[in-house]
Amino acid sequence: MITVGIDVGSISAKAALINAGELIGSRVMLTGYNARNAGENIFTGLLDDLGIHRDAVDRIVATGYGRNSVAFAHKAVTEITCHAVGAHFQDPAVRCVIDIGGQDSKAIALDSTGRVKDFAMNDKCAAGTGRFLEVMARALEVDLDAFGKMSLKADRPAAISSLCTVFAESEVISLIARGERRANIIAGIHESIGSRVVAMANRVGITEPVMMAGGVANNIGVVKALEKRSGKTILVSAYAQVNGAIGAALIAAG
Amino acid sequence: MQHSKQFQDIFADPKAYARRWKEKTGGKVIGTLCSYAPEELILAGGALGFRIVGGSGSISKADAHLQSYSCSLVRGALEDALNEQLDFLGGAIFPHTCDSIQRLSDIWRMNAETGFHLDVVLPVKLNTQSARNYMAAVMRKARTDLEAVLDKIITDDDLQKAIGTYNGIRSAMKRLYTLRRDRPGTIDGSDVHAIVRASMVMDRNDFLNSLTQVVESLEQQPEPESKTGKRIFFSGGVCNLPDVYSVIESAGGTVVGDDLCTGFRGLTGLIDIGGDPMDAIADRYARRAICPAKHSGITRRGDDLVRLAKETRAQGVIFLFLKFCDPHAFDYPYLKSMLDAEGIPSLLLELEEQIPSEGQFRTRCEAFMEML
Repeated sequence: MITVGIDVGSISAKAALINAGELIGSRVMLTGYNARNAGENIFTGLLDDLGIHRDAVDRIVATGYGRNSVAFAHKAVTEITCHAVGAHFQDPAVRCVIDIGGQDSKAIALDSTGRVKDFAMNDKCAAGTGRFLEVMARALEVDLDAFGKMSLKADRPAAISSLCTVFAESEVISLIARGERRANIIAGIHESIGSRVVAMANRVGITEPVMMAGGVANNIGVVKALEKRSGKTILVSAYAQVNGAIGAALIAAG
Repeated sequence: MQHSKQFQDIFADPKAYARRWKEKTGGKVIGTLCSYAPEELILAGGALGFRIVGGSGSISKADAHLQSYSCSLVRGALEDALNEQLDFLGGAIFPHTCDSIQRLSDIWRMNAETGFHLDVVLPVKLNTQSARNYMAAVMRKARTDLEAVLDKIITDDDLQKAIGTYNGIRSAMKRLYTLRRDRPGTIDGSDVHAIVRASMVMDRNDFLNSLTQVVESLEQQPEPESKTGKRIFFSGGVCNLPDVYSVIESAGGTVVGDDLCTGFRGLTGLIDIGGDPMDAIADRYARRAICPAKHSGITRRGDDLVRLAKETRAQGVIFLFLKFCDPHAFDYPYLKSMLDAEGIPSLLLELEEQIPSEGQFRTRCEAFMEML
């Protein structure tokens, strides 16, 4: 059975195709203004990549904040359930998933079958999310892809005390004005995300093995900051960003 | 549901109802800020108790008096008062509950123009004999104070009648909640919410009549097809968002019970009849389901929650707290661990008067249903 999971996030849309329990392929693109189009585009884009015809797809599950705008999906499931299923597929030993996406962050505790036991989600605020990193990258004139590696060169991470993205940005600008090294500022930003997300994850309990999912998992600086704050090892798979889409495709397969 | 139309109308615009009531009867409308306001005395005094559970829009004037970390109930209520939205009130009663409402009382007294101002300084600890004696003394003082501001002698006969009405309301509400528990398809959560909200503002005798008719007709309805939704119990404070019920229902849940301040909490317990009416009223306020700003044993609220969750066969508990409500937030950790110990999953949702970001709110509710 061929199934597709489509994860329409606030910043990027992801799709994954599963055939008989095997991950065949995945794709990521920017969501843009129209979530409806994003769902369609990521789906057709993935099928083109793989040379698979639309009719060959048996079932589709949509997830992510735009899950209800994917009209051709058979079902919508929240990204919380999908991330748990996706992480369990990638490594059945995983008991905690930390997902940092574009507009929110989540911590999910799961059992040995991949079922969600408990979860926590940040409240209506960009602090500790991908959007926060985007704002900071702009203020620092650094390409977001280089952000993670650059922070590893820090010798003394700067202290960023504001939780609010707007206030944190003005703190960052003050640090720039004071001549603080870029690497230290970026490391400070990652540590502030790390402390915020770990505080939230502690509400559900950070049980190892911990896996990180979502686009921000590609930022090694945030991963290191989470490890430092939590004192736990954090696994990052090559499919971190499409983890939710993989979970959705697996749920579609039943 | 057809039955609940009049309750929905009152809930949609309680102020318009109170204005009409005042015009029709010439009586006084008295604002109350908490379910511990002695409503029986208000009714016995011939006035209409009007529960204020928040404001009607955005906040601007109230922010000159209150910090932004006050709950939206306190800020919204003050905003309405300062905007003369509550100009139909002949007075306001502030029972001693949480710190925010106590201090709101002071700000209100000095700034709002809503008629007379009464503080009812109830005991905090409710489970001792001395607290009960004190409670009875406070209620007697409230009776004398009300007699003065209403310019009416409240007789024991008035009190007995009011007790009869409130016992009638609370018994009928209990039947409604039993129906909701045993036959959840019979009535929607948003209808129950509208009925409870109407109970806080409608002429209490009219309310009792309408409620009795609704409950009787629902009880006679044939058993509906059983709802397959996940059985959810709501725990917490003031919920001013009827949308919560539709979000839960569209996510595949059915609300089968609650201990909310805008739910069953203030409607629990009957007043004993036959003895001294003031002692009986005071005794019921000491016995009813408690609010986290009161004390009646170290684990009273947790014991009640676990018992209710089991009685309603809830598959999950959703805590609904107003943001910045610290009495509820302080109780939360032990309530959650008591539920955890019983294997009952729970979800905490912090709300303000408007759902701040509906997408995330929906995601949480749906994920919780998927988890159950």
